[in-house]
Amino acid sequence: MKKSVYFLIGCLLGILLNACAFDLVHIKQIPTQIESTNLSKPSFELEKEVNVDPGQGYRRKLKQGTKWNYVGTVSYGDVFRSKDQILTVEASNIHEAYIVVSSGKLVGFYLPVERSYSPLGDPPILYMKEIN
Amino acid sequence: MKSISKLFLFVMVIFMVGGCATSGPKFTEFAPSISNMAPDTGRIYIYRPSAAGAAVRPDVKLNGEVIGEAISYGFFYVDRKPGNYEIMTSTEVDRKLSLTLDEGQTRYVRLNISIGFFVGHVYPELVENEEGKKEIEDCRYIGQKK
Repeated sequence: MKKSVYFLIGCLLGILLNACAFDLVHIKQIPTQIESTNLSKPSFELEKEVNVDPGQGYRRKLKQGTKWNYVGTVSYGDVFRSKDQILTVEASNIHEAYIVVSSGKLVGFYLPVERSYSPLGDPPILYMKEIN
Repeated sequence: MKSISKLFLFVMVIFMVGGCATSGPKFTEFAPSISNMAPDTGRIYIYRPSAAGAAVRPDVKLNGEVIGEAISYGFFYVDRKPGNYEIMTSTEVDRKLSLTLDEGQTRYVRLNISIGFFVGHVYPELVENEEGKKEIEDCRYIGQKK
């Protein structure tokens, strides 16, 4: 009786652990092309901290007071990067990221190495102050 | 019999711990001898500031090229042309970090460890320069792998 219980537990553990594949979590990426137009968009400073829930992967925070500079445009919005904080998106792997802004909201991330766009399901509002 | 077992255990522990020791000068001692990077390059420091999972020491690859080893309390650095890079460590699984490097830019990549199935997973993480500068001070120079 005992042996069969142990066997059952062993089987269950095996099934459970087998389900823990380590490469399961990937962030959604859409290949995209960034275009740098001649008309540069104004840089801005974040007036409020922003907590970002990417749905898949780890949460991120855009710090209050960080300055963001325009680097180009993708079809989903304008792309900005900051030298004031490191921004990455992380699931099974970690990718450096820039933010994509449209209509005053953070709609997703641009991954410069992968040249792809990672959308956010629930885009937060960015409280921006234009700077020169 | 018991004493033989104890002795065997002791020897094994010494052997294991000894194998994990990191040699080389500490960052603070080594830093003055680090040359300035060439004008058309950037620098990436890679370090592992923890003893957790010290027996797991995978190679560190940069765009597929082995550049070093993930050794506890060890660090090394590489100078590269500006561009896009991928740093990868492999244990049971591959763990990747993608990052950009600008001219004259210095970046710090910390090697962390997480729980794995049979062995821990070492994964690279891009950290703020201030954080990297502080943490790397406790690490020893282990050199690049060529």
